[in-house]
Amino acid sequence: MRPAIAALSLPDAPLPADAPREAAQSQSGNQEQSPSPQQGQKQKPAQGAPSSDSSLSLGDLGFTPAQTQSNAKLQARLNKRTHMLKVHQTLGLITLAPMAATVFVASGAKQKYSHIPGVPLKQPSTEGVDLHAALGSLTAVMYGATAYFAIAAPKIAGTKPKGAIRLHRDLVWIHGPGMILTPILGGMALNQENQGQKVHGIAKAHGAVAGVTLAAYAAAIVSVSWPIHWKFWEHE
Amino acid sequence: MKFAVALLLLAAVIPANAQNQWVLTDSTLTWHISHPMHEVAGTSHSAKGKGICNGGQCNFLIAVPLNTFSSGDSNRDLHTLQVVRGAEFPMVVVRAQIPESGINGSTISANLEVQFAGQTAHYSNVPFHRVAKGNEVEITGTIPATCSDFKIDRPSFLTIPIKNEIPVTVDTTWKPM
Repeated sequence: MRPAIAALSLPDAPLPADAPREAAQSQSGNQEQSPSPQQGQKQKPAQGAPSSDSSLSLGDLGFTPAQTQSNAKLQARLNKRTHMLKVHQTLGLITLAPMAATVFVASGAKQKYSHIPGVPLKQPSTEGVDLHAALGSLTAVMYGATAYFAIAAPKIAGTKPKGAIRLHRDLVWIHGPGMILTPILGGMALNQENQGQKVHGIAKAHGAVAGVTLAAYAAAIVSVSWPIHWKFWEHE
Repeated sequence: MKFAVALLLLAAVIPANAQNQWVLTDSTLTWHISHPMHEVAGTSHSAKGKGICNGGQCNFLIAVPLNTFSSGDSNRDLHTLQVVRGAEFPMVVVRAQIPESGINGSTISANLEVQFAGQTAHYSNVPFHRVAKGNEVEITGTIPATCSDFKIDRPSFLTIPIKNEIPVTVDTTWKPM
């Protein structure tokens, strides 16, 4: 310890919980930060690097123990949260594919009718309807799994949603009901088609609701990626 | 008579000590990360610090709670906290050594010891700019930190990790105690 520093007296401040450990570390020359001595590795100080044996400590700076104390439980929650949200992100991106494909093949599941009076309706092929329904079902299952990982991810107390994540969450109020309504309306439309009727009533909104749902879903993905700066050529 | 002498000695000693000790009054610390699709920065104004100059050497201690950094997106901030093990190691602690002879120059060269994410890294001869503003001194510079220095697993987006370099720009204002 340098005599100059040792002679200094600083104002009293709350002693953080890990201050004694820090002091012990400094004396032993341990280069790791507490509290997990098994983690990480010692790093050899570079030449001319300052030593840790200064008498200035976090306690001298006036931080409260709550600010400086390690919280293993919170770290575990953060780890679980990140893991679940990564799965949410991956599933969410994958879900976009069957969702877009469902919309893409929708025309094959739709009855065609002419505006010319007397020309009968042309019913869709069974294959077209089955493909559309199968992709729609896959989308619904994957969407549900994606939503589960977001909803079940641990919440961190005291965190107020801020930034792009707010729009991402708000868009749920559009694509969430859309994902419920779309298959219901699709089922109604199919039922009317099977009865040889022209799709009518609220079932006519099936396509529009699906389109809005897809748009809101895509916007939710883009919102958490915004602003995008394409700089691949600069990346190592 | 003794009292007067003591008073004189005290008067002589107090200013000398006061000039040798510094306290951080204002700070802006900003980390920068770079990804092909994103440039993100997170800022904290919550650093606290003190410095002591004596015996030809100035020692500074600056610390900041990791959870005070804000990038403008709460989700990203929580993810950052997780990646840097911010709940387990909630503080970034920087110890700086500067030769007392160089403390009044417009450019200061400091040796830094940075404790972050459960690791300690050292940076030698990091240049900082010093500007005197009345009674206070503004010190600015950049700590050339990298993810690998602190064994941080680089977060990725669309399977592409962020750059290893995570420079931290420092803008601090100090006043004598």
